Amino acid sequence: MAHLLREKGFNTFVIVGGLTAWRKVGGNLESVPKNDLVKLPSFS
Amino acid sequence: MNELLPMMARHGYALVFGILLAESLGFPFPASIALVVAGAAVAAHTLLGVPVLLTAIFALLLGDAIQYWLGRYTGWALLAFLCRLSMNPETCILRSAESFYKRGKMTLVIAKFVPGINTMAAPLSGSMKMRFNQFLSLDFVGSLLYVITYLSIGYLSRDVLAATLKNFHTVSQVLQVLVVVALVIYATYRVMQFRKYRQYDVVPRVQAQELEARLASDDSTRVQIVDVRSHGYYDIGAERIFGSIRIEPNNLDEEIKTLPKDKDIYLYCT
Repeated sequence: MAHLLREKGFNTFVIVGGLTAWRKVGGNLESVPKNDLVKLPSFS
Repeated sequence: MNELLPMMARHGYALVFGILLAESLGFPFPASIALVVAGAAVAAHTLLGVPVLLTAIFALLLGDAIQYWLGRYTGWALLAFLCRLSMNPETCILRSAESFYKRGKMTLVIAKFVPGINTMAAPLSGSMKMRFNQFLSLDFVGSLLYVITYLSIGYLSRDVLAATLKNFHTVSQVLQVLVVVALVIYATYRVMQFRKYRQYDVVPRVQAQELEARLASDDSTRVQIVDVRSHGYYDIGAERIFGSIRIEPNNLDEEIKTLPKDKDIYLYCT
């Protein structure tokens, strides 16, 4: 995805280790807004 | 072949059980080939048909049940792990779940014949809260079809297989060859995957500490952090990097319209 964004002209970087690495260095976090919590299909 | 048959009689059931269990647990073992060989052994009266059938089905159901419960209790964590092995980890979970849901529960019946889905079907069933009795019933039908199909192929092509196997002296040699072939295929696949996606390495990578330092500087206004996890990674109470926005990997063309071009974009997933 980062590659695609770069092709479209965005100056893109990738955070090594993602959210896990961010947590490890004690970076600030916030709760994911409820609107972003899309329910996945369930058979129940 | 004369030496192979007694060995098959002694270890055939254990081999069938071990290989099928490993395959159903997600390891790259050639279960279908093992079943074909077992079918030929049944035709040669080296193994008994019903015990082979029951052994194979039991191994598949055991492995699938373990995957089901792992999926049920770990939620999307197990699927995230399995998806890391896929071509596109960012969308793997969501696409797998939607595909599975759209095709319906009967997907389980054919899942073992479809590469990719066979590994994901059991943990997906667990994650998507399918009732265990229903899962077991459908998985039993699917396993039965799978085992009978490949045993029949081996049974009906016994003569061809016997000619192929006559140069092998022991079952262990056959097993070694099967394992080596599977590993070579898997390694080739991974190398091809690596070469195909090597171009993506041109994207600069930054350490979390570097970004944190930049956010603390006067330059922080030129930073936009973007969460590119698929919905599948989100559970109630999930967190994200403070101030980040989310873009949906499956809808990239529309999502990028909202991205600022005058800022540096920092992407992250799990």
